[in-house]
Amino acid sequence: MLEQFLFIGLPYIAFAIMVVVSIYRYRVQRFTYTALGSQFLEGNQLRWGSLAWHAGILVILIGHLIPVIAPGLWKALASVPAFLITVELMGIIAAFLSLTGLVVLFCRRVASARVSAVTSTADLLLLLLLIAQVLVGISVASGARWGAAWSASTTTPYLWSLATLHPQTEYITGLPPTVRLHLVLAWCIFLIVPFTRLVHVFSVPVAYLWRPPQKVVWTTRLPQPMGAHTMQLAQDTRRYFLRGALGTAGAAFLLSVGALDRLGRFFRGPAMDQAHQAELLQKKLQRLELAAAERALEIERIEKQYIFVAQLSELSDKDGKYFTDYHMRPALAFKDASGLPLLISAKCTHLGCTVASTMVGGRILCPCHVSWFDVKTGKPAPGAPAKVPLPHIGWVLMDAQGNLVASQGATGERAGEIDMAQAGNLGVYIAKQFEETA
Amino acid sequence: MNVRAHVSMVFHLDKCIGCHTCSVACKNIWTDRPGAEYMWWNNVETKPGTGYPTRWEDQLNYKGGWELNDKRELKLRSQNKSNYFQKLFYNPNQPGLDEYYEPWTYRYSDLIDAPEGHDQPTARPISQITGEDIDIQAGPNWDDDLGGSPVYAENDPNLDVLTEDERRVLLEVEQITMMYLPRICNHCANPSCVASCPSGALYKRGEDGIVLVNQDTCRGWRACVAACPYKKVYYNWKTGKSEKCILCYPRIETGQPPACFHSCVGRIRYMGVLLYDADRVEEAMKAPEESLVESQRSVLLDPFDPAVIAGAEANGISPKFVEAAQKSPVWNYVMKWKLALPLHPEFRTLPMLYYVPPLLPVSGRAGDGIYEQNASEFFSSLDNARLPIRYLASLFSAGNEKAVHDVMKRQMAVRYYKRAQDVDDVSTEKVRAVLREAGITEQEAEEIYRMTTLAQLNDRYVMPPIQREENIAGSGCSPEMCKGSCGLGAITAPARGL
Repeated sequence: MLEQFLFIGLPYIAFAIMVVVSIYRYRVQRFTYTALGSQFLEGNQLRWGSLAWHAGILVILIGHLIPVIAPGLWKALASVPAFLITVELMGIIAAFLSLTGLVVLFCRRVASARVSAVTSTADLLLLLLLIAQVLVGISVASGARWGAAWSASTTTPYLWSLATLHPQTEYITGLPPTVRLHLVLAWCIFLIVPFTRLVHVFSVPVAYLWRPPQKVVWTTRLPQPMGAHTMQLAQDTRRYFLRGALGTAGAAFLLSVGALDRLGRFFRGPAMDQAHQAELLQKKLQRLELAAAERALEIERIEKQYIFVAQLSELSDKDGKYFTDYHMRPALAFKDASGLPLLISAKCTHLGCTVASTMVGGRILCPCHVSWFDVKTGKPAPGAPAKVPLPHIGWVLMDAQGNLVASQGATGERAGEIDMAQAGNLGVYIAKQFEETA
Repeated sequence: MNVRAHVSMVFHLDKCIGCHTCSVACKNIWTDRPGAEYMWWNNVETKPGTGYPTRWEDQLNYKGGWELNDKRELKLRSQNKSNYFQKLFYNPNQPGLDEYYEPWTYRYSDLIDAPEGHDQPTARPISQITGEDIDIQAGPNWDDDLGGSPVYAENDPNLDVLTEDERRVLLEVEQITMMYLPRICNHCANPSCVASCPSGALYKRGEDGIVLVNQDTCRGWRACVAACPYKKVYYNWKTGKSEKCILCYPRIETGQPPACFHSCVGRIRYMGVLLYDADRVEEAMKAPEESLVESQRSVLLDPFDPAVIAGAEANGISPKFVEAAQKSPVWNYVMKWKLALPLHPEFRTLPMLYYVPPLLPVSGRAGDGIYEQNASEFFSSLDNARLPIRYLASLFSAGNEKAVHDVMKRQMAVRYYKRAQDVDDVSTEKVRAVLREAGITEQEAEEIYRMTTLAQLNDRYVMPPIQREENIAGSGCSPEMCKGSCGLGAITAPARGL
């Protein structure tokens, strides 16, 4: 994987970046295309450093390029021992020359206050990278000798495979690590070329050789394809349009991110913490329990003939006791003046609210729309929203042993006798028989 | 005949008071930037002196300008096509920072941050390049008004033409004399900087002859710095580009004279159009040294000559331009009155800035500062002048003493003529005799007097009609749309951002 990256991915990335960024820099920031020479600030050391470095590296570059460009010719030449020895010797001399130059240039960049004032991190990085590359190159030349010969069947076909877009790393898999490092460092140098002063290699002034000495520019006669000012205007317009479009697109992007986030959250549902979840489940459970209790009441009403309401002694003539009648409707149990139970429906005949349990002046109140009902008759007060009286409910009194003592139907027909002295022990029930008859 | 127009200049050295207002105006507009602090596109030197950069006139060292080889070909001294490439890496003729001076400022925070004490805090000088403390060894105009003499004055390369005795006399403290030499780029008609640029970044504008560096094309090879014999191309150590005087072309294009001209307190500067024959430039610059002044004059064309006017029209020079050339004060000084001479014509670059050599130090020699009034001995006093004619000839006529002598005669004749009018202690006959010997008429003397002393702004600066507005009018662009643009032709306004 690393192999693929270093010898296929990296060279392509480096080359692409070098070409694209260099062209971009040339088009957009042409002013920055310069060698950034520092002879003006420091000349004595530069003389030796710069001349040695450039002389050495030019020889070496040519020596590296020819075998790649003309591999056949080179192979034929390299088979002649005398040529091989000459070339290798020249190479190693040039390498030491350029190394000396680089070291001088590096020391000067660090030591001279004036030069270090115009030295950027990129300059130092570049110098260190070049020094490393030359050192590795020298170790290749000494460790894996006669590179001029063996490169013809290893690195050259590899480079050609890269150039023809059929990258094959097999050619260089068996090579010593120094050679492979030399290649990787070369890709790294390609990579940083457009970001450093090295761009000056793209503007080697060759045209000087044939240009006439004087140069006159008639600025009013320069070709003006669109008319200079129209062009300027078009440029401005393009710039403003680009700016506007970018701004709009940015805003739209941000807005849509917000909207999508809401949508997603809606479908995802709220994120709850444990306490919240537990609380929610608790509520659900409570609701289920309530429903179960209601069902239990319903079953009770279906199965049983009599349903216990309260002990007669618990009832009061002021505060009614709520209970559920056979139709699962709320009802109230009072004690009337004679000490007997008085059961009345608590479901308001207007819209079905539950009537309040406190008796005020013999009347009870439906709080929803203020309907007062007379407890004795069940009739609503005149003018109240409810027009129909609350029905009374029949009751049965039973003693502790379950013997029926007395009863009263919904309409008031009494049966049985009550000994008021023992009335406190009696339980009040409602009976199915009254419902069925009613 | 290939007629071209050239915005040209005359500096009248008799009027220069050495106030450096021109230098300051230029610095404030153009070179007040990092990397350009040391540059003085306009500087004023005291002569005799070593100048800026030190001994810039010594071409044995700097190898600027052109030379004639054995085959009578004009060749650059600094490089040729076989060695220019090697000089990209190191140019042995390029002046370094120490030949100019290391720019500095002061650490003003010392004044505020100094702890309480008994002594006054001082702001230490610090280098504008390294930011570190600096021991100032030299600065701009370090030898101003002969300060530092005799170290500086003695080393003036122009003194080489004098004998030992002459030099000793010249530099005697009681006798010592000086003159000012304001210098800007000469915008030469045969520029060696343009010819040396490997990248082709330097060029001469066809319309007005201004020599410019295209900053986008310049790659910082510095060949121009070495090739310019006047050392008027500077290397910006920060941007890695060469820069030079642009003759304030944005001002010229709006009908204003350059800043150094406009601000000149002594009103020594004149600007106007000259017409010249571009085809004859090279041949004229091959003349032997003693006839270089004459051969340079022969390149200039008479703007009143119908053949020249026709040639100008054929070359696209508008009638308005020719009209400006006819009114040009430079034409009058250089050709009509023959008062102005080029600086160091032996560099063979055909400088288009001309100097009227100073008369005052010369005349001041005669009679303890009182001008000679005896007409018969009047001109003979020039030969034992305080500032030797040979010295001025070394500066302004490539050693041709007669050329300088003629100029001096005319200048003195004008003074004599005015003296007769104002003081009335010279007879008319004597005045006529003096004028006849100088070779000028009374009318010319009057004109010279008026142009030298009374000329108003519009007389001194006859600006050519190359205003941007006129240029825009042809392109059909509304002035409002084009107000951000600058330059004559295809224009890219400075743009920032996307």
